[in-house]
Amino acid sequence: MLPTPLANLPRPMRILCLTLLLFFAMPSVLFAADLQISDARIRLLPGDIPAAGYVTLTNAGENDTTLIGAESAAFDNVSIHQSVTQDGVATMQHVDQLTVAAGEKVKLAPGGYHLMLMKRKHPIDVGDEIEITLLLRNGQQLNAKFHAGAPTTQ
Amino acid sequence: MRQLFMPVFVSLWLMGCADQTWQTKDISGLMPPLAFDLVDENGNDVTADQFLGKSTLLFFGFTHCPDICPTTLARLDAVIQRLEGAYRDDIQVLFVSVDPRRDDPTTLSTYTNAFGPQFIGLTGDKAALDKLTRRYRVTYGYGEEDSSGNYDVSHSSAVFAFNEQGEARVLIRDSDPMDAVAADIKRLVNEG
Repeated sequence: MLPTPLANLPRPMRILCLTLLLFFAMPSVLFAADLQISDARIRLLPGDIPAAGYVTLTNAGENDTTLIGAESAAFDNVSIHQSVTQDGVATMQHVDQLTVAAGEKVKLAPGGYHLMLMKRKHPIDVGDEIEITLLLRNGQQLNAKFHAGAPTTQ
Repeated sequence: MRQLFMPVFVSLWLMGCADQTWQTKDISGLMPPLAFDLVDENGNDVTADQFLGKSTLLFFGFTHCPDICPTTLARLDAVIQRLEGAYRDDIQVLFVSVDPRRDDPTTLSTYTNAFGPQFIGLTGDKAALDKLTRRYRVTYGYGEEDSSGNYDVSHSSAVFAFNEQGEARVLIRDSDPMDAVAADIKRLVNEG
């Protein structure tokens, strides 16, 4: 039936081997699972004013994972930014990459790292769940639903 | 022991009366009273005199600021919501945009309305903004435009608080605990 050595194995064994092969063929699934996403939310601002996306990334795996960008069907432009306040002056800096070390947690939270979400492709209301894809350096992509909150949410 | 009782009691009692110190940074006498010539959300020229009679929280920012500005405004909103109704009517937050190129009156009005009735947007031309920011010893500036025409604006992250007469009282920073901010805003309103 199968022109491979697998064909000679008993059926339960064959299924096990094929399942394992499937997992090896898709390391993305395994790697991606190492980075856990929680508290994913957007603070909406009125009109087409850029919004901020916040999320907690927890690396439960044994390898460092690096976020290199994000994209969403709901926004034309998504980038990683960091707010920096020095001597009472606030500025925003573009962040090319953000590493979450193995076993560590990085929070994209108000006053620090955030996703800058620009140019809405369609109107978004408070309460909507917006899908954003996080791009990792290892080529993997993580989809997450971000809850859209009011401007006054922290 | 008995001789000690009265002096100790009296001192503690006096301390109790005098414990009203500001919990955020006291700037009384260090910063000048509220004064400006700006444009409001309806496009009208306004001066600081028109805003006297209520305690004023003054913040410099810009609307295309997804993180710091709404974070600060949301904190102020949370503090205002904690106050009893009568206090809320005696507070106004003046959001001065240092980005007049993008923040026309309509944009400002839509923006501040999203935060609540206490929030009022103001802006002005470079001369007016320079005069006001210099008065409170803060700076602002513009970053380079990216390919889509977006640019960052650096601005002061603190909130200046004035009493009803427009006298400077405290400087509220993002690092100040909410309880401290709430206590000071309440005191500011009580001071009149």
